[in-house]
Amino acid sequence: MPSLGDLIFALGQWLRTTPLTELSLWIQKQPLSMLIDQNFWVIPIIQTIHILAIATTFGSVVMINLRIFQMAGRSRTMAQTTHRFLPWIWWGLLVLLITGIGMTVGEPVRELTNPCFWMKMVLIIVAASVSLWFQGSVRRNAPVWQLTSDGRLAMRTGAAGVILLWCVIMVLGRWIAYAPT
Amino acid sequence: MVLQGLWQALEGSALGQYIAASSWAFPTFETLHVIAIVTVVGSIAVMDLRLLGLASKETPVTAMSNDTLPWTWGAFCVAAVTGLLLFISKATTYIANPFFLSKMVLIFLAGVNMAVFHLLTWRSVGQWNSSPVTPRGAKLAGGLSLGFWVVVVFVARAIGFTLDKFSS
Repeated sequence: MPSLGDLIFALGQWLRTTPLTELSLWIQKQPLSMLIDQNFWVIPIIQTIHILAIATTFGSVVMINLRIFQMAGRSRTMAQTTHRFLPWIWWGLLVLLITGIGMTVGEPVRELTNPCFWMKMVLIIVAASVSLWFQGSVRRNAPVWQLTSDGRLAMRTGAAGVILLWCVIMVLGRWIAYAPT
Repeated sequence: MVLQGLWQALEGSALGQYIAASSWAFPTFETLHVIAIVTVVGSIAVMDLRLLGLASKETPVTAMSNDTLPWTWGAFCVAAVTGLLLFISKATTYIANPFFLSKMVLIFLAGVNMAVFHLLTWRSVGQWNSSPVTPRGAKLAGGLSLGFWVVVVFVARAIGFTLDKFSS
């Protein structure tokens, strides 16, 4: 039975046999990539903005989910809470996407041939899809869900799942730096 | 460097040596540190934006404080413990790094700002609790807090990029 580490290592080895290697080497030779790479402070500054955007998006997800669990925000309705925090989730995600592209252009080999990077990308698509679907069902069903225990259970399971998913995404994001290469 | 013996003892301790040598310990504590710090900054920003009168204007300031503060403190404790574990793995290197020292000073200043706000401005909160417009003291505290934490994140990230630049 191979361990998770073995699977990640194998994924990394396979990634390096794909055209992604050539693509990342090509990106590395482009003027923008060289500019980012040669200026010492560009990557730390992009990473700082990336982390601040995670704080914005994750903080907003937490605030909505605490409201679902009735552990915070009880002075407001579910609708008021989502109205306050949803835009911040999506604007944060936009900043994450832009800074993420910046880091990838600056260090293409480190990102594009990295197993943790691609696992993170897949989970982001999953998390964004689940969030969109969950948002929709909460909006449609919140008035009913809040009245039945089944509905509350469904909302709470979804909320806990979304938090867990974002935590795993942050784990993978940090482990890009430690992935075997 | 001040207290050099202490930093060397921490780094030489069994736990410090273990974290430095282990392949999983440092990345794992660092990841928990990042998750804790984004929770601290995210929840503080929600409160700061309310104090600045920029968001959650329909929410009473005391309710906003009750909603965010327990999570800010809980996450801050996780960040402090994991931060300490990271620190002892390379104590002498961190203590010589100006970005690390700046980070400690900035967190201290953020704490002083919070304490001053709670001791002075907070006393009159009953008068502006439900008002979308907050007094100057509250705006100042919210703005300073937001500013301090943004810079804390930057100097924190800079530490990792400059570890070999200042160590003797």
